[in-house]
Amino acid sequence: MKDAFMLPLLSLRHLSIGVWIILGLLILSSVYLLGVDDAKSEDLQMWVFSPEHKQMYEPKIAELNARSGSDADTESRKDIELTLLSIAAIQSRMTSGFFGGLPTADMIEVERSTVGKVFMGPPESIGFRDITDRLKDEGLYDQINGPSLSPWSVNGRVYGLPHDVHPVMLAYRADLTEAAGIDLTQATTWEKFFELLAPLMSDEDGNGRPDHYPLSMWVTQQDNIELLMLQGDGQLFDADGRPTINSDRNAELLAEIVSWCIGDEPLVTDIDEFSAAGHQARVDGEAIAYLCPDWMCSIWKMHVPLIDGKMKLMPLPAFEEGGRRTSVRGGTMLGFPKESDEYEQAWETAVQLYTSPEIARELYQMVDIVSPIRSLWDDPVYDEPDPFFMDQAKGRMFIELAPDIPLRTSSPYNYSAVLNVRDAAVNILDWSTNGGGIDDEALLAKTKEELDKAQRAIERQMSRNAFIEVVAP
Amino acid sequence: MSSHPRSRSSRMLTHLVLIVLAVIVLVPYAWLIVASLKTKEDFFSGMFFPPGDGFLGVAWSSLTLDNYTNLIEKGFGRAAINSVFYASASAIFATFICAATGYALAKSKFRGRTLMTLVVLGSLIVPPTLLIAPSYELLFDLGLLDSVWGLLLPTFAPAFGVFLFRQAVQQSVPDELIEAARIDGCSESGIFMVIVLPLIRPMIGAFLLITFLGMWNNFISPQIVLQTASKQPLSVAIAQLRGVYKTDYGLLMAATVVSVTPVAVLFLVLQKQFISGLTSGAVKG
Repeated sequence: MKDAFMLPLLSLRHLSIGVWIILGLLILSSVYLLGVDDAKSEDLQMWVFSPEHKQMYEPKIAELNARSGSDADTESRKDIELTLLSIAAIQSRMTSGFFGGLPTADMIEVERSTVGKVFMGPPESIGFRDITDRLKDEGLYDQINGPSLSPWSVNGRVYGLPHDVHPVMLAYRADLTEAAGIDLTQATTWEKFFELLAPLMSDEDGNGRPDHYPLSMWVTQQDNIELLMLQGDGQLFDADGRPTINSDRNAELLAEIVSWCIGDEPLVTDIDEFSAAGHQARVDGEAIAYLCPDWMCSIWKMHVPLIDGKMKLMPLPAFEEGGRRTSVRGGTMLGFPKESDEYEQAWETAVQLYTSPEIARELYQMVDIVSPIRSLWDDPVYDEPDPFFMDQAKGRMFIELAPDIPLRTSSPYNYSAVLNVRDAAVNILDWSTNGGGIDDEALLAKTKEELDKAQRAIERQMSRNAFIEVVAP
Repeated sequence: MSSHPRSRSSRMLTHLVLIVLAVIVLVPYAWLIVASLKTKEDFFSGMFFPPGDGFLGVAWSSLTLDNYTNLIEKGFGRAAINSVFYASASAIFATFICAATGYALAKSKFRGRTLMTLVVLGSLIVPPTLLIAPSYELLFDLGLLDSVWGLLLPTFAPAFGVFLFRQAVQQSVPDELIEAARIDGCSESGIFMVIVLPLIRPMIGAFLLITFLGMWNNFISPQIVLQTASKQPLSVAIAQLRGVYKTDYGLLMAATVVSVTPVAVLFLVLQKQFISGLTSGAVKG
């Protein structure tokens, strides 16, 4: 019996200072954590991933919380608790909650790159509520910009309230084009665009490269490739979610996009969108024009202030005369988990937040994002001149293009498909550089071959999902 | 007696090289600390310090501790304590369990010992990423998701640690010593606690540090297993500071300083044992 106490004590003599420190840390942290009350919050939970969204919602939520319990109507209402999480955290907590039966929030803002995970199984297993009928019953369906519902819809049913539109325009260095006497607004097609900017591609500084490239875009930039293909009515999936990556239209579009990058003098250049090096290249005018969704404006204002007052916006040049002059990139929705017991209050709160003129105004003023609620588009804030873009009424320009943004798929395999298309583009460029040449017909044939490969890769991936029927076109 | 001029100059040269290397290693840390003291506005204004009219052309007055204050307001104190708890609990229990199991596999004779050793050895070749999905399913079946135990239990007996201690015991503990202790009437637990543990002390220090650092830096497991925000460790809390439209880099750097400092201090305290643990058996005496 004596041994049982003495032996551990004897062995303690031999422990080093490090062990004692870690043991001490364990004891102290255990004591603290045991004393903390971790009882589950009874409030209505809302998860958001953007600090700006949180900042915008806070006043309205404080107002709603102050009102709750003040009269008979609001007596049973819970306080609303707004939690800021990263996109990765929302994705892991949301999917863990949906697939593992763990508690989630009553309202979750989900980014487009994340939402595919939710739509992976059969419709009945989607963790969010189908809000289609409610949207229609309350007249909201007709108020929302139509195409903005598509990324959040499966088989015609809507699973989230759209937060934004994210139309895309062409942002260009107007100081450079105007100094060269070029009126870029005449560029109604991509062909005309490159023709108009050809004079600026001269090599005045003698460094062996053009002083300015017309456009910032490269085959490695999958988001921009997707955006351009959507603009030209390219679709990687059909309305039933089946892959159509190797369609003729997609091949034509990708061949044209890649043709901008090939040859001895490519028309486009690879400028990183979010790094310091990319921002410096923007300041230096390495590219004249950029594909610019509404949200990109606020990023430039913050990170590239040296181009303030030098930029202008215009609708994207079309692939063919009379074609679409905009596209779409990114997006967020607000979903209501099925497991939540507080759907009614969550819905009312969501409608108040998403249809609030004050919040829509702040959304535009703070991060340049246009609301998808059409009745809010009359707000004069969208007509205000923006000095960053040479006093253009940027908001109105984005709004005019908003109804024309292309429809997007909600397929959970879209991201993989986009990556496969990017790889196809890289392979085509590689083939062209290594002797494949720049002949249009050969380029189109090679593009079809690469898109066939991408189609097969996605079909293989989708065939592992028992809930999705894959029919080769 | 003065040292030979040649050896002195070669020593100076060695020190010079080491100083240059030390500067290369320490500059990023110095940058990190300075960056954590900058405001949002100053963050991109200068490569190192914010430029201004002060001494050496630096705006000393614009350096601030606001980022650290903001961290505390954002609940980072709790995340830091969670990290300390997870890392220390994992380190202490894993070290003790691995040492005991390693000792048993090295010195005890029982049926199935070879098979068990092979299983431990075999499990080392399974990439941890491959175990994420089955582990999640197992924790779900056991009802341990979103619990501290769900995060900690799988870290208590890593195959790497068991095998490491088995080798350490085989090399450092002579059979004769154990037999002498048995003849003297010492119990099996007594032999382990009083004779074996002191002999493998360098390995204990090294493994303790490896496990502590591993758990401290662990991002994937807490991200997958834990759901409740108040249970998240620092690694996850820091990742959540990155914004969508913009990131508060000063805050991110302050959080990184808070995350790096405790483990750096721990390494400095344990470095002698860590190195001797790693090199024990490297040279046969």
